[in-house]
Amino acid sequence: MSLRLNRLLLYLPLIVITLFFLLPLYVVVVTSFKSFDEVSLQRMWQLPSGINFDNFRLAWEQLAPHLWNSIKLVVPAALLSSALGSLNGFVLAKWKFPGADIVFPALLFGMFIPYQAVLIPLVQFMRTIDLYGGLPGLILTHVIYGIPITTLTFRNFYAAIPSELIEAARIDGAGMLQTYWNILLPISIPAFVVVLIWQFTAAWNDFLFAVVLTNPSNWPITVALNNMAGSQIIQWNVQMAGAFLAALPTLLVYIFLGRYFLRGMLAGALKG
Amino acid sequence: MASVTYNNIYKSWGEVKVIKDLNLEIRDKEFLVLVGPSGSGKSTALRLLAGLEEITSGELYIGDRLVNDVPPKDRDIAMVFQSYALYPHMSVYDNMAFGLKLRKMPAAEIEEKVKEAAGMLGLETLLDRKPKALSGGQRQRVALGRAIVRHPAVFLMDEPLSNLDAKLRVETRSQISKLHKRLDTTFVYVTHDQTEALTMADRIAVLKDGMLQQVDSPQVLYDSPKNVFVAGFIGSPAMNFFDATVTGSPEEMYIDTGGFRVRVPQSYVNALRGYGGKKVVFGIRPEDIHSARFTPGGVTGETVRGKVDMQEIMGNEIILYMDTSGSSYTARVDPRERAQIGDEVEVAFNMENMHVFDPETEEAIYA
Amino acid sequence: MRIKRDALLGFLMVLPSIIAIGIFVYGFIGWTGRVSLSNWVGLLPNYEWAGLKNYTNLLFNDPRFMVDIRNTVIFTVLFVLGCLILGLFLAVLLDQGLRGEAFFRSLFLFPMAISFIVTGVVWRWLMNPAQGSRISGLNLLFDRIGLDSLINSWHATPTWGIAAIAIPAIWQMSGYTMALYLGGLRAIPDDLREAARVDGASEVEIYRHVILPLLRPVTLSAMIILGHISLKVFDLIIAVAGKQLALDVPAIYMWTTTFDGQFYGRGAAIAMLLLLSVAILVIPYLYYTIRTEAEL
Repeated sequence: MSLRLNRLLLYLPLIVITLFFLLPLYVVVVTSFKSFDEVSLQRMWQLPSGINFDNFRLAWEQLAPHLWNSIKLVVPAALLSSALGSLNGFVLAKWKFPGADIVFPALLFGMFIPYQAVLIPLVQFMRTIDLYGGLPGLILTHVIYGIPITTLTFRNFYAAIPSELIEAARIDGAGMLQTYWNILLPISIPAFVVVLIWQFTAAWNDFLFAVVLTNPSNWPITVALNNMAGSQIIQWNVQMAGAFLAALPTLLVYIFLGRYFLRGMLAGALKG
Repeated sequence: MASVTYNNIYKSWGEVKVIKDLNLEIRDKEFLVLVGPSGSGKSTALRLLAGLEEITSGELYIGDRLVNDVPPKDRDIAMVFQSYALYPHMSVYDNMAFGLKLRKMPAAEIEEKVKEAAGMLGLETLLDRKPKALSGGQRQRVALGRAIVRHPAVFLMDEPLSNLDAKLRVETRSQISKLHKRLDTTFVYVTHDQTEALTMADRIAVLKDGMLQQVDSPQVLYDSPKNVFVAGFIGSPAMNFFDATVTGSPEEMYIDTGGFRVRVPQSYVNALRGYGGKKVVFGIRPEDIHSARFTPGGVTGETVRGKVDMQEIMGNEIILYMDTSGSSYTARVDPRERAQIGDEVEVAFNMENMHVFDPETEEAIYA
Repeated sequence: MRIKRDALLGFLMVLPSIIAIGIFVYGFIGWTGRVSLSNWVGLLPNYEWAGLKNYTNLLFNDPRFMVDIRNTVIFTVLFVLGCLILGLFLAVLLDQGLRGEAFFRSLFLFPMAISFIVTGVVWRWLMNPAQGSRISGLNLLFDRIGLDSLINSWHATPTWGIAAIAIPAIWQMSGYTMALYLGGLRAIPDDLREAARVDGASEVEIYRHVILPLLRPVTLSAMIILGHISLKVFDLIIAVAGKQLALDVPAIYMWTTTFDGQFYGRGAAIAMLLLLSVAILVIPYLYYTIRTEAEL
């Protein structure tokens, strides 16, 4: 009986913390669906009288092109950095060359640096090769700075695969590329899912590179949303709807592929 | 069809030498078992032959061809791994066909070879399955099949039975022996299990600390081990060893362990002539120590009394752990010998099968 | 030599990444380092040698940078501690085999999928500092449910405003910390708990003497990951409060002084100091992790 009671007591803090986590979500949803006449800061916590899309319509008008920019940016960035990470991870785990154990941590360090330390040269460099202001330059940036984390995740994944499998392929007559293509690639789909989701989320949520490297017409959603939030003209309710729109793609990915997402996150902790 | 020759082979990893001056000739169509405890270098010796490790120095020949720098795929070998190393995403058929496909063999020919091997191994009905859907024994057979389809000149196996349960291991043992007869090619087989080695091999090569100890047929290895290590490694339960002194005269020579004294048979006296009064290592297998009451016909044993410390009843025999004045040993006796722990019993040493080793070199002193 | 050829092929496959990271990480850091030693002010690059002037100015002559350091310290301590405590607490709670564990776990993790910008924009309205007749956000909620004592001016509080930013940061990252701890908890074999139970330890004692000591490596990892995130914090503050001097941190100072003010030399020096602080935290960790991994 007392055990039962103890168990119930565990739920109490859980529910309080749950409220803390749900609070922002509640405000965003409630506000987004209110009609213009219902919106006021004083009535922030009240439920809307009905479902109304006014706020979304206005936010969409402002943000649609930027959502599109984000998609155009994120898809190639995620695909390319995952492909590179997979090749690197394969070599660093199963096809080592002398010095591989120095190259790996040297690559990894790139994942931790504050990007401020590369911003000035990055802008100069992109101007020089004429990629400043547009999406291709930003894509290139995301691909390159994505290499460390994608390499790490794939390396840990491949390291867990028995070396005998690679040796069997060698005896069967497979060279490096054949081993990668025929043996490792077909079994790395789970790792690809993890890495793609992770890179998708990271690139979608980036603000710093985007704000420094792109012109207003090429702004991805994060920069556009921040700009909208700083503006005096745009109502806070529209901002909330905008935040909702900006968060939706990654949230959907999270809801449907959450298990993989978690795995991707934990890879960031350097543990396989 | 090919012989294999290891010529002064060394293998080091940095400072650590794992193979030291290996000289070994494996005959064409022979079933050779490399046996030794873990860390003896037996797997490394096999992996050098497979081309999975680089040879540090020496020459390795398959047939007449020097293969030191030949990649695995061009060595005309196939290998069965301990974990089987089946490609998890491929069906049984594709696992077996992969090596042939890489060699650009026509599809019809591949199919013929895979079907043939599958027939040999009873895998016909499993060809569409993935490895995950197979039992351990079936996986093991697929691994064999993957090697068979290639018709290699040399078949390499690295502890292929160690992941099977005891019963299946015995079955597969004879299956592999039959396969060897049928394929009529050279087999090189690595194991740490001396029973596997004794039952399957044409010849056994015993390794210890990267050094070859002895190569010979199972019977010779059992009867005339060259040194203490081989004597102790081959045979189960292991041979009894005693630090002993040779006493008496050439007319009446004894081995004295301090705990007991047994007479040296005439056939050994000459060999031990120079050891009078000196220390030796005396060895005798448990199966050569009988119950004095139930000694098999033809054996005239040297009787010794001892106390039973412990016994294991096996049904067809009893293993007694004995102690005679501080010298302890194991005896494999007739099941009719009903002793209790603590009892004094009389056992008979069949001294015709005794072994004596030099305590310095640990080499055998032969009659 | 076959094996040498294999190694070369492997190296060639990684080479593009080595070159890319070599240029974009190490090359650019060197370049930033060079800029930090220059007098570059204005749009046109100017590499005229300035020695350590930019650094000495920042460290000894710049009240704004002192505010940045103070803010970073306050934020880091609150953020890291908050995440560790809340994360560990949640992990231990969820490790009790409660009903709906999967739901709660997903709930606490979902902020991780959202950008700091979205989080910031939402919390900007929740932490609206207005009081009295224009009261709103959390202050309004506190007023309605009778917790008036909690009403405060959030990030508009003098000196301690930065502490308010730690709240959305904790909201966003404590789920991640929980996941790290859950991973650690699940890696502890049940045998150990059972052995302790058989030895007569109570559930609380098991946590104190068995589980928590075994989670120390997780805490270390989490501290370093959270610590370096905290040193780099940038977009969250921008989204909550814009570029306010009271809430300034090095990452924002670098950005505004470089790209708004054209003080490239000074911006580069800030970036280098920021990099140095992250490197001090991360390099020993990388070294240690990779070395222990090699020993396995």
